[in-house]
Amino acid sequence: MSPRIDTAKIVTQHRLSFNADAVAIGLALALAALIRFNVIHSIGW
Amino acid sequence: MPTQTIPLPTQPAVRSLRPQHLPTLVPGVLLLFGIGILGKGLEQFLRYLRTAHHIPTPQIEYVLWAILLGLLLSNTIGVPRIFRPGVATYELWLKLGIVLVGARFLMQDVAHLGGLSLVLVAIELVLSLSVMTLLGRIFHLPPKLTSLLSIGSSICGVTAIMAAQGAIEPDEEDTATAIAAILTLGALALFTFPAIGHALHMGQQSYGIWTGLAVDNTAEATVTGAIYGDDAGRFAVLAKTARSAFIGFVVLGYAVYWASQGKATRVDRKGLFLWQKFPKFILGFLAISVLATCGFFSGTQITSLSNLSKWAFLPAFAGVGLRTQLRDLVNQGWRPIVVGVLGEIFIAVVTLGLVYAAYRHNGMW
Repeated sequence: MSPRIDTAKIVTQHRLSFNADAVAIGLALALAALIRFNVIHSIGW
Repeated sequence: MPTQTIPLPTQPAVRSLRPQHLPTLVPGVLLLFGIGILGKGLEQFLRYLRTAHHIPTPQIEYVLWAILLGLLLSNTIGVPRIFRPGVATYELWLKLGIVLVGARFLMQDVAHLGGLSLVLVAIELVLSLSVMTLLGRIFHLPPKLTSLLSIGSSICGVTAIMAAQGAIEPDEEDTATAIAAILTLGALALFTFPAIGHALHMGQQSYGIWTGLAVDNTAEATVTGAIYGDDAGRFAVLAKTARSAFIGFVVLGYAVYWASQGKATRVDRKGLFLWQKFPKFILGFLAISVLATCGFFSGTQITSLSNLSKWAFLPAFAGVGLRTQLRDLVNQGWRPIVVGVLGEIFIAVVTLGLVYAAYRHNGMW
């Protein structure tokens, strides 16, 4: 017998084991610093 | 139809990033980026065929390709277990993209548009909470399921429902049903909102603000905006961020109500409760915006940060497709989805009217 609502199961059973907000802010500030101080010169799209 | 209760965490999981977890994330992260990059490649390849060889090909944005490819994979062969921990990181890439897009907003814009969004959000909140509660009663939904649907549709979808879960202590089945209904409605918005926007000849800004106000989940709101255009995606993020800021207040209101009914634990430290529920990534968005406003970055560097946010959104878009199960459209029962659809139509029409009222004078409709 499979669970009735698969999407909810996927969302709730596979939560991140870390704080995505803190990691996202840390990563963003680190990348912004690398760009600001020209360690990364340019990022294209 | 036999049903099985879906196990949901009753206590917030201890969130720590341990080195031994990292290898388990790699396959899913590679899948997210692989699908996103494939979507971008498909858009460019079809454009090349159109312009260089005059072959008529559909003009589909990379955003939609990433979602469609994700949907195709998850609804045919499914997402193998080895990929699932990494696929869940789509939330991280989404928040990283939102924080980085702060570089494209000067604080004056944030204050003006964010202030406008806050006013519109306040009106939307009152109306949508009232209507969803009324619809829940009309269709005899369990009261706590009605509360979850109201919270999810008025603020920020799954995040709000998960935040409310620990506060109002609903049945696991109600939580699962509410999440599935909100995600199903979000999937429908991906295809209906852009069509409505084009039919009404909406501008990038007005459309973006509208989707940020009306689409529930942050991921789906961002995608629904980005399908319309990069600028619409940015404005959708801004309006959605303003809306998400209310999450603590609404969840607290419901927690106090259910505690007064003797059906949930009383909230003693309300200030701490509000801080715990506040989406912290908004602070990162504001920090990057403040740095950009102060002239910390050059014009070229702001372009690089903006491009970086697009790269971060790419796997998030793929994740939206990968986690959506189309069979949930029929599996969740007709009453929650009818309440959700009617409520969402109401919210979409009301917010469209609000945005029209706000933009009709400046020619940016």
